[in-house]
Amino acid sequence: MTVFSQSVSPCGKFLAAGNNYGQIAIFSLSAALSSEAKEESKKPMVTFHAHDGPVYSMVSTDRHLLSAGDGEVKGWLWAEILKKGCKELWRRQPPYRTSLEVPEINALLLIPKENSLILAGGDCQLHSMDLETGTFTRALRGHTDYIHCLALRERSPEVLSGGEDGAVRLWDLRTAKEVQTIEVYKHEECSRPHNGRWIGCLATDSDWMVCGGGPALTLWHLRSSTPTTVFPIRAPQKHVTFYQDLILSAGQGCYVNHWQLSGELKAQVPGSSPGLLSLSLNQQPAAPECKVLTAAGNSCRVDVFTNLGYRAFSLSF
Amino acid sequence: TMSSESSKKRKPKVIRSDGAPAEGKRSRSDTEQAFEIEERRIQSCVHFMTLKKLNRLAHIRLKKGRDQTHEAKQKVDAYHLQLQNLLYEVMHLQKEITKCLEFKSKHEEIDLVTLEEFYTEAPPNISKAEITMGDPHQQTLARLDWELEQRKRLAEKYRECLSNKEKILKEIEVKKEYLSSLQPRLNSIMQASLPVQEYLFMPFDQAHKQYETARHLPPPLYVLFVQATAYGQACDKTLSVAIEGSVDEAKALFKPPEDSQDDESDSDAEEEQTTKRRRPTLGVQLDDKRKEMLKRHPLSVLLDLKCKDSSVLHLTFYYLMNLNIMTVKAKVTTTMELITPISAGDLLSPDSVLSCLYPGDHGKKTPNPANQYQFDKVGILSLRDYVLELGHPYLWVQKLGGLHFPKEQPQHTVMADHSQSASHMETTMKLLKTRVQSRLALHKQFASLEHGIVPVTSDCQCLFPAKVVSHLVKWVMIPHEDYMDLLFTKDIVEAGLAGDTNLYYLALIERGTAKLQAAVVLNPGYSSIPPIFRLCLNWKGEKTNSNDDNIRAMESEVNVCYKELCGPRPSYQLLTNQLQRLCVLLDVYLETESHDDSVEGPKEFPQEKMCLRLFRGPSRMKPFKYNHPQGFFSHR
Repeated sequence: MTVFSQSVSPCGKFLAAGNNYGQIAIFSLSAALSSEAKEESKKPMVTFHAHDGPVYSMVSTDRHLLSAGDGEVKGWLWAEILKKGCKELWRRQPPYRTSLEVPEINALLLIPKENSLILAGGDCQLHSMDLETGTFTRALRGHTDYIHCLALRERSPEVLSGGEDGAVRLWDLRTAKEVQTIEVYKHEECSRPHNGRWIGCLATDSDWMVCGGGPALTLWHLRSSTPTTVFPIRAPQKHVTFYQDLILSAGQGCYVNHWQLSGELKAQVPGSSPGLLSLSLNQQPAAPECKVLTAAGNSCRVDVFTNLGYRAFSLSF
Repeated sequence: TMSSESSKKRKPKVIRSDGAPAEGKRSRSDTEQAFEIEERRIQSCVHFMTLKKLNRLAHIRLKKGRDQTHEAKQKVDAYHLQLQNLLYEVMHLQKEITKCLEFKSKHEEIDLVTLEEFYTEAPPNISKAEITMGDPHQQTLARLDWELEQRKRLAEKYRECLSNKEKILKEIEVKKEYLSSLQPRLNSIMQASLPVQEYLFMPFDQAHKQYETARHLPPPLYVLFVQATAYGQACDKTLSVAIEGSVDEAKALFKPPEDSQDDESDSDAEEEQTTKRRRPTLGVQLDDKRKEMLKRHPLSVLLDLKCKDSSVLHLTFYYLMNLNIMTVKAKVTTTMELITPISAGDLLSPDSVLSCLYPGDHGKKTPNPANQYQFDKVGILSLRDYVLELGHPYLWVQKLGGLHFPKEQPQHTVMADHSQSASHMETTMKLLKTRVQSRLALHKQFASLEHGIVPVTSDCQCLFPAKVVSHLVKWVMIPHEDYMDLLFTKDIVEAGLAGDTNLYYLALIERGTAKLQAAVVLNPGYSSIPPIFRLCLNWKGEKTNSNDDNIRAMESEVNVCYKELCGPRPSYQLLTNQLQRLCVLLDVYLETESHDDSVEGPKEFPQEKMCLRLFRGPSRMKPFKYNHPQGFFSHR
């Protein structure tokens, strides 16, 4: 089993995880973290079949859980999701060009200001869907190979996308045009041809962007499009995020790496899966007691780190 | 005494008187002297006579006194004696009296009928109610009379019955004679009918003989025999049942107890002698005890299962008497001589061919919990050491014999339950046949695999593309320990899937410089339980499922998606199809590897497979799924 995606509920007490068999499991973080937690608390409260293919990406709005996998995005109501036989509220499929094979959706991004959702994946386009009406408003083309990841640059607002073609592209939402392109593999400091050129993960902090994958994990200054720090780790990284003054990354290998902005490795915390694909930080204000980092990847387990320094326990499908 | 005193007093007087005159007158004449002497002499004679008289008198008085004393004494003695006699008689009489008083007449020991019954039943001439009512002595006498009367009557009856019995016994004898004379006649008729039976294909005689022998089987073997024969007749003509072994020995097991007691005492005496002569070593004694404990019943049941391809599975069932369990020995014979490929050594070996017929039933431990206590007494650690000789005590064998061992309780009685046996018979027979067939199929496949050819049947060709370049170069069996030592199989071992009842193999698939090692766990329950593969690819580094997601996907293609590879039932093609798929997967992996721009020269493996997309999803999976009949590869 491979767990591809995670999402925390708006109340902060539940965690949804999606796997390669198309199932979504809802875990109760508050039960698993409480002092009377037993073995059953580490099992899902409910597991249901959500998609026909793997659930590659999930995000949560303040009332809904949105999951995407094989070509479709589905919406679920968090309030209903714990009941047996839960059905999706709605499902949408963006207009694809190809008909031979249904492309997968690898990344979902919420734009709160516009109340819209950006989907990107196998058909090399970014589709934007209005959450109110469900219509697909625009399709941004530019990538030459499928898209792995998305990030939102709040200030502008711009969307960054990284793909298999090795480029990170920045899109302006208002004009629906590509405004900047960074071809990471062309930079000697970070390119690693034997791994390939694909960009597997992206995170941005408005002025700064960190990306990794085939090339080395690198911190970029966006305005000047220059790589400032290359993080010295060989294994391709599949997920990266900014947290307080650190950068957390995970990928091949069982570790969650804690980096300082200077490029130093502050800590390498082992998890229980041989490879990690997704990290999730529960920062919901409504549940401060459930403030944990969860990591999932190439196994049926979701590791829970209560203190970033060590793995407390694992939830399991 | 008074007289003697007086005589003594006189004497001195005499002497004095004599003395005085003597002094004065010496000159007196001799005649005076002579007259005096004469006088004195007469006096002395008189005195002597007086003395004598006195002495006589004294004696007489003494005698009288004595006589008187004696008489008195005699009287006293007589009285004394009388007294003793009387006392003795008194004692005697007293004893007699007590004896009489203590006398328990035998009549008190007899349970007489109660008074009421007596008066109601006894005829009036005995009961004499008028006299007996008042007088207890007469009453008791009457009752005793009645008792005597009744006993006489009963004795009469007894004699009558005895004579009746004699008569009847004689009649029985006569009839027995008659019947025994009938037996040889019937036998000759049976003999005469044998050719007719054979002609009509109804071997009643043979079956009858078997039933005769079956009577001597111990209960579990009997249950097995009955159920198997019934099943064979009703459902499955390919099953044949026979009984082997010595009936005489079986009969000898049931000697009457007195004989065995005599034997014991004899043997005790013998033993004493031998211990005096030479004590047998402790080891030999223990060995004998062990042999005794593991003794088999002399009869065994033989089941032959014929399979579709006319190979036969021979099963011999034994019963271990002291342990109360059944064991089985298996042998597979085929119509043609099988050349065993090296890797197929264990497939059909009698030791392992029936291992885990039902999951977990490895047959190395005794299923009867009570046996452990028995083993401790004779120093047997486990039945495992003796299974080659005695056969395997599988759980399904116990069930076929109707022996039921609940898990936690030791059982002492032999409960051979027919209903338990019947419900298992059909399932077990089917499983046995499937087992033999699958093993024979594997046997054939291994022969081909050792030559580097993956045998794919024509109805499974659609699972694979027409051109497969990667090929199998090696197929060997590896021991269990070697499998555990491999680095890339650790997670299988940790998940508890690599027990010692499985068979382990190593396959090597090559293409160009790429070498793919596949470690295979073959469960004895193949093919209902699929084999498990773990891969290690050596090409531009060592790749396993811990560092390459695509290797993980390849493993999942053969392990998880095995149902597609089962082929037509009974799916004995699963293993070879899995191997063929691995070759196809290796082809896809190598051909879809993205070209490294920094390295000069063309790709080692140009892409020949038709793929819609090379990578998909966050894990960048290769297109491993083959689509038939279009012939292209896509992602799951």
